[in-house]
This record gives sequence, structure tokens and C-alpha cells, in this order.
Amino acid sequence: MENYKARIDSVYNGSAVDGKGLRCVVFFTGCNMRCGFCHNPETWTEKGTETELNELVRKIKRYKNYILNGGVTLSGGEPFLQAEFARALVNALHVEGISSIIETNGLILDEELIRVCDGIRLDIKNQESDVDKRVLKFLDKCEELDKEVTMTNVLVPSLNDSKEKLDILKRLKQKYTCIKELKLLAYRKLCTSKYERLKIPFPYEKYEEGTKKDLDKAYAYLNE
Amino acid sequence: MKFEQWKGFKEGEYQDKIDVRDFINLNYTPYEGDKSFLAGPTERTKKVMEKVNDLLKKELDKGGVLDVDTEHVSGLLAYDAGYIDKDLDIIVGFQTDEPLKRGVNPFGGMRMARQSCEAYGYKLSDKIEENFKYSTTHNDGVFSVYTDEMRKARKAAILTGLPDAYGRGRIIGDYRRVALYGVDYLIQQKEADKVRYGQNDMSEDNIRTLEELHQQIQALKDLKGMAGKYGYDISQPASNAKEAIQWLYFGYLAAIKEQNGAAMSLGRTSTFLDIYIQRDIDNGTLTEEGAQELMDDFVIKLRLSRQLRTPEYNELFGGDPTWTTESVGGMGLDGRTLVTKNSYRMLNTLYTLGCAPEPNLTILWSDKLPENFKKFCAQVSIDTDSIQYENDDLMRPIYGDDYAIACCVSAMKVGKQMQFFGARCNLAKLLLVTLNGGMDEYSGLQVAPKGKKFEGKLDYDEVMKAFNEYSKWMCRLYINTLNVIHRMHDKYAYEKIQMALHDTEVQRFMACGVAGLSVIADSLSAIKYAEVTPIYGENGLIYDFDIKGDFPKYGNDDDRVDSIAVSVLENFSKELKNTPAYRGAEHTLSVLTITSNVVYGKKTGSTPDGRKKGEPFAPGANPLHGRETSGALASLNSVAKLQYSCCKDGISNTFSILPNALGDTKEKRVDNLADMLNGYFKEGGHHLNVNVLDRAKLVEAMENPAKYPNITIRVSGYAVNFHKLSKDQQLEVLKRTYHGEL
Repeated sequence: MENYKARIDSVYNGSAVDGKGLRCVVFFTGCNMRCGFCHNPETWTEKGTETELNELVRKIKRYKNYILNGGVTLSGGEPFLQAEFARALVNALHVEGISSIIETNGLILDEELIRVCDGIRLDIKNQESDVDKRVLKFLDKCEELDKEVTMTNVLVPSLNDSKEKLDILKRLKQKYTCIKELKLLAYRKLCTSKYERLKIPFPYEKYEEGTKKDLDKAYAYLNE
Repeated sequence: MKFEQWKGFKEGEYQDKIDVRDFINLNYTPYEGDKSFLAGPTERTKKVMEKVNDLLKKELDKGGVLDVDTEHVSGLLAYDAGYIDKDLDIIVGFQTDEPLKRGVNPFGGMRMARQSCEAYGYKLSDKIEENFKYSTTHNDGVFSVYTDEMRKARKAAILTGLPDAYGRGRIIGDYRRVALYGVDYLIQQKEADKVRYGQNDMSEDNIRTLEELHQQIQALKDLKGMAGKYGYDISQPASNAKEAIQWLYFGYLAAIKEQNGAAMSLGRTSTFLDIYIQRDIDNGTLTEEGAQELMDDFVIKLRLSRQLRTPEYNELFGGDPTWTTESVGGMGLDGRTLVTKNSYRMLNTLYTLGCAPEPNLTILWSDKLPENFKKFCAQVSIDTDSIQYENDDLMRPIYGDDYAIACCVSAMKVGKQMQFFGARCNLAKLLLVTLNGGMDEYSGLQVAPKGKKFEGKLDYDEVMKAFNEYSKWMCRLYINTLNVIHRMHDKYAYEKIQMALHDTEVQRFMACGVAGLSVIADSLSAIKYAEVTPIYGENGLIYDFDIKGDFPKYGNDDDRVDSIAVSVLENFSKELKNTPAYRGAEHTLSVLTITSNVVYGKKTGSTPDGRKKGEPFAPGANPLHGRETSGALASLNSVAKLQYSCCKDGISNTFSILPNALGDTKEKRVDNLADMLNGYFKEGGHHLNVNVLDRAKLVEAMENPAKYPNITIRVSGYAVNFHKLSKDQQLEVLKRTYHGEL
């Protein structure tokens, strides 16, 4: 097996909130977006650790006994920026009987990576703009390949909790049968200390955190 | 022999000799179904619980002790019968003549008994004071023999929590024998043993055994007398489920009347009792509601078990624990599960009666447990926080399928093995003594042989060499100290009724322990991978360390440091075995601190890992707070690397998680927790406390105890009521890593 390398920020072992079951989450370094609510700004600015594929697979295998009903989530940063490595990782994990999903912003379309992975978590960025055309192409491809997509959306009160904004999500869900689930994530400010440490401004500092009430209200509208 | 009470049971070897396992194996009904058959509490149970809750509130209002009987010395026949409500009680019996009234037990030590009374505004009666003038207590015996070296190691708290002033506990009588055989048969068997031992040469060992047999027989006779006060004749076997529970409980009650042991565990009784319950249900004499009601009333009695102890003792152990540990589940050697409907009923008491820290319900987890039961356990953890888990697949090959857990993590074959509880050695402190050339870093006392003082940047190999030398010294002193303690406990506070419910040829363990594992692992890792230089104070003692650079930290599944933790334990375990233990006991080792990690931390100076003087240790085998950065599973994997083969007295791990971090729906939380337990135990982990709680809820509870009066949390090895923890311990629980992501 060719030994690919990638820049990886960190690996968190034991998440129950990044997909089905218990999961190991691989945070890739580097991102092509600068979302104002981002919880992992270190993936924008820091170099990460150069990691060999074999080494990463060996580490993840240590958790096989826990994640058999879950798997691995490739997150970041943007994993599609290092698509070649991501493909190799997904394939190597398949050999071990471990499934992988990828968290992405959908701006980069790598057909092969979509094909090999076991699911996509696509985060729709509609807080300040319309949905990027490239994301629609990405979704077209997922539809074509019949790849299961979970659509996520960070709900920032006053930015994207309006009916108009929620309608965007509604329409996407109606249009694409590959979108099996729509999950709203409440905007939280638990990452403030990271921005302080990195000495960069936290763009969404001024916005209120999303509450359970906000989520309930939005879901109620979406499910109308 | 054949008792008519055995009608309907399959015949087997248990009919010719005492063999409870054989009886269970032949007669139990494994259950693989779900919880849907369970019944709720009856009106009677609800009524009794109102009275119980009222009593518990009065106890709390009175500062933790409702009443003390200072006139009698606690014993099987010392008190009249006591009831919550004579007309409502189904299973009867209290330690004294009233629920929650505590008895006095001075055999462990007079001073402790006196102080315990005084702390709660009572005075030991002149009669007891007078009587004990003429008798030697366990405490007197130990201190008449302790050497200067032993006293110093104890005073400096390198050896700590030693059972030299209180009952050692951690012995499980096979209380099931009372129900299965009745007391007369048990007396006959012991009398036959006494005749047999009478044929031997009268060595000191043989004479001791004969005297103990005499005491055991007397205790069994007293047990019958005790039951008689409640109107029961227990000389014959129990004939139905109610009697089986009552007989068994009388056995346990006798033990907690006789002994004020640190941990007075129940054993493994649920599946045994299921056989009687199932027979009654099949006969049409008992309904499911009735069965639950019997178990509820049994558990109510267990919950009201109390010992009189000093407030300092309670501070050390967090609350007012009795460690009435009941082991539930597990697999049989023949591959059938030992889970029965009564395993469910036992857990169901956490719903029918509300959650509570006692009895200390311990699930013996196997990969092969029925999926339904795994899910039910996970559900109970999430709902109540009141159960702990231990790895049956790890213990069954060593102890067979009829072992139980004493205290928190100590496995033993029921009725066939016992242990000499040996508390623990503070390893972090031992490292500081090593670096200080044998001196206690607090007092400057020369507690260990004089050695080289370490100055300048610490060299790993040199430190390890010296540490191994001091470990050698420590281990010999440790075993010798324990030998003194247990000789004296046998002599002056022998567990008559509990040992009467053991085989006469019992296997003994010398159960040593260590505290501060994560601190020593991280300290040695710092010395190896970073630059660590001791800083000396004017008194010539190290008061802190200068640490330059980073180092791998235990709890991140990083072999560089985890292997240090593994080898420290292996070496210590090996070294202990070099000194013979009292009565041919097998040396074992635990990594367990219960809640005393806070107190041990207070008594330990700054350590080379950057932990400051007085700061708490992590509990048991846990990584230190905040040093695990690679996720919950990485932390579990680090602990799972510690080898049970060299820590056969148990490796305790406490895991706290916020509910939403386990998943966003109830179903997902149950599935994910079950997966986590499965994974940990497949990796070879031994024990896991599971706290699924909301941090906010806990903070609020601290400020507003009345709002959450019944928060049970698991603290290394057992469950306590959150409000019985000291403020320090409450803060420590909050500080402990929450593997939350929200």
C-alpha cells in the first residue's frame, strides 16, 4: 500500500454526535472557507501534523471494538482539500471493516471520494449568503451515485432562522432524495478560547447562541 | 440427604455437601428477554417507602446519624426485634431495635467507637467502657506490635487507610447457604470439620483453626437465636421465595450486626433467589407483582444498613458507605447466561424505590450477555447513575462462575475465598521520598532508608533505579505491616458468622493496593521526555519541580507513557510477592482509591508531572483531570492496558459523561453506552463506573441540595449520594473531565 501523507489537526476518539453510533473523528487541517461560527479555527491557521496513512489507520484500528456500529468521520477543516489521502484512508478502513463518512462544505467535488465513502454530512452555509452553486453540483453527484447525505445547518439566531432561510433547506430536502436527514445544530460559543489563543477575531462573537427553543421552532416550521 | 423444602428442585451433588453453585447451575432459568415483564411497586411498598423517606430525611436533618444505642455492644443477640412497621414489613430485621439506630462495635478499636459516639453528641455507656477495660481490641493488638518503621510509614501516609483501627471488611459470607440448607445442617458440617481437625497434630495453625471453628459454630447458633427474636425458626431450609430471601437476609444481617467492616458486601444472590421465585410462580403461589414486592422489601432493608463511624472516616470515603455490593449477571461456564428475571427485578428496584447508592449494584459484563440485558443495563445507567460494571470475561477464567465482588472491585469465589484488606500505598509519595533521599517531603522525617538526594536535571534511568530500590523496601514493609494487622484482626475481631458461611479450607488473598497511579506515570514520563529539575526549599526538601518541554500523558492511548504505568504496576506486584503473607495468603493488588484520592492528594507534595502540592489525585486508575485530550475512548484504552493478571484485586475506572454527549436521543444513548462498555471490556478493561449526568444539574445541586435530594453519583467503585460528599469532593467531581462536546 502506497503510504500517503496528510496534514491532520487531531483525532478525537469517542464522539457520539458526528454521525451514527460511536465514532473516531479525524480533523483535517486546512479549509477553503472561513465561516464566522467555525469551532475549529485552528484548522485555518495551524499547520497540523504530517500524518502517514499507515500510522493513522493503525491508531484508528485501536478503537475497532467500540465503533463497530459507528465508524470514522472525516472532518476538519475540509477533508476534500486532501481528497487523495481521504480516498486512501476510506479504502484502508474498509479493508479493516470500518465505515467512514465525510463532513464537508460541498465546494470541492471529488467523484471518487464521494463514491467510496459510506455517507456525506453536508453543512449548508446559508447564514450570510445563498447556497453556493458548487454545492448544488455536489448534491447532483450524490444523487447520481445514490450516496446517503445528512444535511446539517448551523442555526444562528437572526441570521438564518427566518422562514426564507429555512425555505432554502426545505427546498433542497424536497429536491434531492439522497438527503435522508436534515439536522439543525444550535450555534454555540464554546470555541471563544480557541480564537483568543490563536489571536484572531471571532467573527460571530456578537451573535446570540442558539437555544433549544430556537431549534424547536425551526424544526416545527421545517416539518410543517 | 433430602429436605422436603427442596421439592421441585433437580437433584445433584449439592444434596450431599455444601455446593450452592451446583444448586444454581442445575436449577436456574436463564432469561434472554426484555424488561417488559417487570411490575411496578405495590401500594404497600409505596406506603413503606413514604415511611423510609421520612426516616432518611430525619437522619439527614440530625447531621447524618439518627440515633445511637450506646448501652449495648452490637451483636447477634444484643437487641430486640426492630421494624419499620410490623404490619407492613415483609422481610424483617434491623441491626438494632429500630431502623437507622446505630449500634456500637468496639472490637476494631475503642477510640474509634468512643469518638464516633461523641462526634454525634452521644456518650459511650460506662458499662461498655468498663467491659472493654479488660479486653484487648484489634487496634490495641496492632499497636502493641507495630515497629517504629511501620508507624512512620503510616504517619507520613505512604501507607494509608490501613485497617488497623476499624473492621477490615471485604469478606463475603455465603448467605445463600442459610436459605438452601438451613442452619442446623451448616452447624453439622462445621462440627464434622472440627472433629476432622481434631485428628491433626496441634500446631499453632491447627489450634487457631479449631478455636475459629468453635466460634463459627457458636455464631451459627446465635444466628438461629437472632431469627427467633423475629419469630422465625431457620434451622431448616427455606421452603419458598419469601423464606429464601428472609433466611438469606438473616445471614447478612448477622454479619453486619457482628462486624463494622469497611465493606460488607452481599455477594451474588439475585439468580439464586430467582430459583425460589420461579418455583413459586410456577406453583401459582406468587405473582410477578408479589415477586417484585419481595425484592423491594429486601432491598429496602439493605438500604437501611448503617455503621457507626467517625465523621473523618465518612469524609475519606465520601458519605456513609457500607458497600453492600451485589453482583448481577455474568455468564456460566457452560455458556448459558446467568441473567435471570430476578437480575432484572434487582435492577428494577432503582425504579420501584427510586435511585440510591446502596446496595452497590455491580453488573458482571460479558460480550456474551443477552443483548436485551445489555441495553437494559445501559438504560438503567442513563436513568439512575447507580450501577457499575466489571468484566466477567476477564474474571470468569480465574474465579469460575460463582464469584462476587467485595467492596468495589475485589473478586472472590463466594464461600471459598476471602481477602485480607490491605488498603494502599501512595506511589506518588513514594517517588517523592525517593527523590528526597528517604525523607517525607512534608515533615522532613527520615521515613525510609537514607539515600541520595536528587539535584539538577533528573535522569530517568537513575531515578528509576532508586525508585525500584525504595519500592523493594516499601513492599517488604507493606506486607509485614499487613501481616501484623491481619493476625491481630483474626485474634481480636474475627468474623465468626461470615467465616461460618465459608468452607473451612478457605483460600486467602493479601489484597494490597496503590494510589496515585496517573501521577507517577505522568511524573516518570515527564522525567523521561521533558526536562525536570527539582527545586529545593531552605529546609533541604524538594518543594516543587521546574518542568521544561512537553511529555506524553497517561490517558491518551499513548504507549510511551501507558507502558510506564503498566510496568510500575508489574514491578510493584512482583516485589510484593517476595515477602510471605500471613496464613499463606496469595498477594494481590488493586488500583483503587474510592474517593480518598482527594485526601491522598492533600498529603502529597508537588510532583514532577506539574501537579501542585495538595492537589487531588485522579481516582483509582483514572488519568488525571484535564490531561486526556484524545477522547473518551482513548482514555478508556489507556486504562484497559493495565494488566489484570498483576492487579487481581481490581482496576477501578470512573467515567463521567454528559447525556447529550452520548447521543441526541434516548435510544442512541442506550446503544452508544452499550457499545462503549462492550469495547472497553473487549480491550481488557476491568471495571467501569458510569456517570451519565448533566454538569449543569450537578452545579445546581451543589447550590440547591433540596432541589435534587437524591442525586446518586458513582465515585470510583461505588455510588454515593452527591450531598453526602464534602464540598471539596463535590468540586472535584465537577472538575473531573466531562467527555462532553456541547
